Amino acid sequence: MAADPEHVPAGTPSCSLCPEPAVIFQRDRNRHLCSTHLTSDIEERVAATMREQNPLVPGDCIAVGLSGGKDSTALLLLLHRILGARNDIRLVAITIDEGIAGYREETVRSADRLVATLGIEHYTISFMELFGDTLDGILKGREEQACSICGVLRKKALTTGAERAGATRLATGHNLDDEAQSVLMNVLRGDLARLTRNSSADSSGRFIPRIKPLMFIHEKEIATYLLLRGEWTDLPECPYVCHALRREVRVMLAGLEYEFPGTMLCLMENKKAVEELFSAHPCGEPIRHCTKCGDPCSGELCQLCHLGHSLRG
Amino acid sequence: MRLILPDREVRELPRDPAPVGTILLEAGINPLDVMVSRNGKLITDDTILGADDEIRVIRISHGG
Repeated sequence: MAADPEHVPAGTPSCSLCPEPAVIFQRDRNRHLCSTHLTSDIEERVAATMREQNPLVPGDCIAVGLSGGKDSTALLLLLHRILGARNDIRLVAITIDEGIAGYREETVRSADRLVATLGIEHYTISFMELFGDTLDGILKGREEQACSICGVLRKKALTTGAERAGATRLATGHNLDDEAQSVLMNVLRGDLARLTRNSSADSSGRFIPRIKPLMFIHEKEIATYLLLRGEWTDLPECPYVCHALRREVRVMLAGLEYEFPGTMLCLMENKKAVEELFSAHPCGEPIRHCTKCGDPCSGELCQLCHLGHSLRG
Repeated sequence: MRLILPDREVRELPRDPAPVGTILLEAGINPLDVMVSRNGKLITDDTILGADDEIRVIRISHGG
């Protein structure tokens, strides 16, 4: 419904595409959008990213990693809307219950509600089922390693869920802020192998290709999209996040983005240029199979088997 | 003007009209980390607030 101009307070910017009041200022594009145009803008950009990253083919099954938090919720809603009319594509959701007391229960409930509303096939995998313990149990005395340990275990759990679902693509809710932070973190760590890796590149059948449809959508745009669709819930943050380098990088990068709009997109463009530069001469180890479990990896042992050694030792 | 923060703390700010972004930065909040509503409607960072306005700041949780 159109806003009554007499009831729009003075000083409220209008949408750059229509007379409606703006709900967001896209600083890196220097334009304002109303709720209708922001919604369609995000849906079009996500569809474009998917076409560019790894075009879908009839018979594909996309497994969405659904934590129940805002990014994965937005991702599932967007893919459901974008792919809803396609009978030749199957959409399923995978939820990982790491076992983080006081945090994960609430987001898992949120994920359960969403898949029930959308009528989407749902697989839940717990760390307890796969690894015999909760993340809280595994991390006792190692809390400062929380994100790196959880990352390895979650990756295995997500892959297991996607394999159970028969997925041909694994979609995650990484947004532009996440991706730009990762680029900067890899630079700060001097990790050239990760910096030059393209996770959506052809996997030649060795693992399920990852897609990140939200990778060019700002975190604030995602939150605004959810609020406008009536799906915003203020969920808690992971209690382990305070141990991560990412927190420092996030604050710094958000400050830079506000002061110099477009900083995050510039980082992504730089990453793409570096990826292309190294595509003919990969600087990491070639992909082979773990000598212990057979999973694809870049060393003798995969990260999970390597982690298993260090946790036991 | 009146600022209602995510933890429900209320701050009264006796000041001249100013953009939302400026007011948030003065409160130590990066405008990219929050959404802001006035009278239940979302508003942009560059909306100019008047002396009688009341805004609610909604925190964007990270991760998920």
